[in-house]
Amino acid sequence: MRRLIAMLSLAVCVSAHGAEATAAPVASADDGQWTMPGKDYASTRYSTLAQINAANAVRLRPLWTFSTGVLGGHEGQPLVVKDTMYVVTPWPNVLYAFDLRKEGYPLRWKYRPAVSPNAIGVSCCDTVNRGAFFADGKIIYNLLDGHTVAVDAKTGRELWNTPIADLTAGETTTMAPLVARDRVIVGAAGGELGIYGWLKGLDLKTGKVLWTAHNLGPDADMLVRADTFKPPYDSGTDLGQKSWSGDSWKTGGGPVWGSVSYDPDLDLIYYGTGNAGPYNAEQRLGDNKWTSSVLARRPEDGALVWAYQFTPHDSWDYDATGAMILANLSIGGKPVKALVHFDKNGFAYTLDRTTGRVLVAAPYATINWAQSIDLATGRPVLDPTKATGASRGTVKGICPSLEGGVSPASPGAYSPRTHLFYTSTNNLCMDYAAAAASHLRGTPYLGATTPYTAGPGGNLGGFIAWDAGTGRKVWENKETYPNWSGTLVTAGDVVFYGTLDGWFKSVDAKTGKTLSKFKVGSGVVGNPITYRGPDGKQYVAVYAGIGGDWFLLAGDIRSDDPADVRAPADYIKDIARHTSQGGIVWIFGL
Amino acid sequence: MKRLLSLAVVALLASCSGQTGPSAQTAALPPGIRYDAHLAAGGNLPPGAQLTNPKSGDGATAKAGAAMFSAMNCDGCHGGDGAGWVGPSLADGRWRYGGSDSEIFSSIYYGRPKGMPAFGGTVGVDGVWTLVTYLKSLPVPADIATEAWDTQ
Repeated sequence: MRRLIAMLSLAVCVSAHGAEATAAPVASADDGQWTMPGKDYASTRYSTLAQINAANAVRLRPLWTFSTGVLGGHEGQPLVVKDTMYVVTPWPNVLYAFDLRKEGYPLRWKYRPAVSPNAIGVSCCDTVNRGAFFADGKIIYNLLDGHTVAVDAKTGRELWNTPIADLTAGETTTMAPLVARDRVIVGAAGGELGIYGWLKGLDLKTGKVLWTAHNLGPDADMLVRADTFKPPYDSGTDLGQKSWSGDSWKTGGGPVWGSVSYDPDLDLIYYGTGNAGPYNAEQRLGDNKWTSSVLARRPEDGALVWAYQFTPHDSWDYDATGAMILANLSIGGKPVKALVHFDKNGFAYTLDRTTGRVLVAAPYATINWAQSIDLATGRPVLDPTKATGASRGTVKGICPSLEGGVSPASPGAYSPRTHLFYTSTNNLCMDYAAAAASHLRGTPYLGATTPYTAGPGGNLGGFIAWDAGTGRKVWENKETYPNWSGTLVTAGDVVFYGTLDGWFKSVDAKTGKTLSKFKVGSGVVGNPITYRGPDGKQYVAVYAGIGGDWFLLAGDIRSDDPADVRAPADYIKDIARHTSQGGIVWIFGL
Repeated sequence: MKRLLSLAVVALLASCSGQTGPSAQTAALPPGIRYDAHLAAGGNLPPGAQLTNPKSGDGATAKAGAAMFSAMNCDGCHGGDGAGWVGPSLADGRWRYGGSDSEIFSSIYYGRPKGMPAFGGTVGVDGVWTLVTYLKSLPVPADIATEAWDTQ
C-alpha cells in the first residue's frame, strides 16, 4: 500500500512539473540561497526547491536548533548566502554567522553592536527586528536604536554604521532594509509616537544618506515633483499637507516598519506606510495622505511616482506596512503586472503596479468598517456607524481589530505553480474608545482604548490560500490563536507556517491539508525560509520566539521579570499555557 | 606579589567597615537617594537621602494622578490602570527599581535606562509626587504569583 502511494505521488509530481513548464516562471534560476527578506525582489517567498514535497513532507524532522539567548519577539527570517546562515536577533541586535559546512553548524563569527537600551522603551511593540539583506558582500540591517549597519559577510567586521533615526522623537528601526541598485532603502517605526514618517536612501558603499522622502507633508518634503508624480485617483499639489487639519501632519505618523519590494524593469520600489496618529482621528481631520498607503518611488533619488491610500482618514490603526507581493497575473484573460497586498483593514488588494490603480479588492477577513472598495474612485464605501473619534464615545464591534486581518509583520507568499497567494490571518474584532491625546516628544501619542473580542466562529486566527485575480478564498485552515507567522511556499507544493502556540506546520499548497507539525518551543512570529545546503539537500529554517504585539497583548507569556506579573488577556486566556518567550533557530529536513 | 595585593585589599576592606571610613567621606558627597533594597557591600548602607511624599495617601491627589497618568502618556507604555503594556506592570505590587515612594519618585523624576523617560523636567517635583501617590493607590491583587489552568 505504502509503495503504491509513493508511486502515485511520484506521478502527481511529474504532472505538476509538466504544469510548471507552461507557467510563467518568476525566479527561473534559483540557486538555493535566501539572500533577501522576501526571497526575491518581488517578495514572493517562493522557492523552486522541490526535494521536500507534498508526498514526503510527512517525514520532516528537526535537525538542529540554536538558542539566540534573546527573549524579544523573533520576527523576520534568517539569510543563507553560499554556505553561511545569518541570524539577526531582536534588541540587542546580535548578528550570528553559522558555518553550514561543519557538523553542528559552529559560528564563523558573531557581531554585537553597541545599541542603546533606551530603544527598548521607545519601540511601541516589543524589540523586534525583521531581518537583514545581503548585497555587495555585506549583511545590512537596522539596529533598534535608529542605526543602519553594514557588516562584512566574510569577516563580521563593521563596514559602516549610519545614524538614520531619532530615538528622542519616538523613532525606532525594526524593518528589514532593501537594496535596489546601489541604494539601501530604510524607514522608521513610530506611528504610535507621533513621528513625521519617512523613507531614506543610503549609499551602498559608504552608508551615507543620499535622500530622505517623507511619507506625508508638503511636496518638497515628500520628494513629489509635478512632472513625475502621477497618482491614479488624485490630483493637486501638497496632498500630503492639505489632507490634514492644521499642522497635524507634523506629528501624523506614517511609519515604515514592514518591508520593501522592487521591480527592476519598472525601476520602482514599493512600500506601505503605517497608521495616522494619534488614534483619536478627530485631532487630524481629512484623508491624512499618505498614511495607510502604498507608495512607489525611484530608488535612485526617492522621487514619488504614484501613491494609493488604502484607508483614507485611518480611524482604526489600519497600517498598510504589510508585504507588497509582485506577480505577473492573468486577470480576466489579460496579463497584468500586479501588486498584491493583504491590508490590515481586511481587504486584499490587487493593483496594477505600473499605475497604482485597483483591479480587485475583496475581503479576506471579517469586515464591517467598510462595505466594499469602489473601483472607480479607489475609496472604501464606509459604514458611518463604525467611524471613531473622541466625540463618538465607545464604538463597539469593529472588524477587523487593529491587529489587522493579518499583521503586517506576517508576510504572505505567492506560488507561480498554483497561482495562489498564501497568508496568515487574524479573526479579531474590537471596541474603540477614542480620547484626546497630548503630544509629548518621545512618548506615546495614542488616544484610544481598544479591547478585543473573537470574530465570528470563535477561532482567533487562520491561514488561507487566495486567488488574487478573482478575489476569492480557495481554502482556509482555522487556527485557535491569531496567526502571526510569515509564509513560505515551494515548488514541492508545500506551504510552511507557524502558530502562536508554537506549532511549525507544513501543509499541502493545493488543499491546506496538514502534512507535518512540530512543537518548536515558543510561539512562531517569524518567517520560514528554505535553502539548499552545502550537501545538496533542501532544508527549512524558522525562528521560534513569541513576541511582537503578543509581548504587550499577552503579557503573561513572559517569565523573565519577577517585577512584571500580569493577568491574562480575557480574549486569549490560555496562550501562556502553551508557550513562553525565548528565541530559537530551527532547521528542519528529511 | 599577588598575595601582598590581596592582603592590602583585605586591609582596605577592614578600614571600610570601620566607623571612620565611609562617614568621613560623606561631607564631600552630594545628597543622593539610597536604595534600601540594594545589597550593600560589607553590610554597610551608604549614606543617602530618603524622600518623603508630602501627598502620601491623599485620595484627591491619587485621583489627579490618575488623570495625569493618561495625560502624560504613561498609559501608552504601562497600559491602562498601569496593568502593563510594552513597559512593565505598575499594578502588581512588584518593582524593578524599588517600590518605596522615594524610589518610585526617582524612577519617574530621573528616568530609567531601558527607555523610561525622565519626567521631572516636564511635570516637576509636585507632578511626580502626584503620580507616585496614584500608583501607590492602585489595588494589588491578592495572589499574583500563580496562574493556573488545570488544578485537578
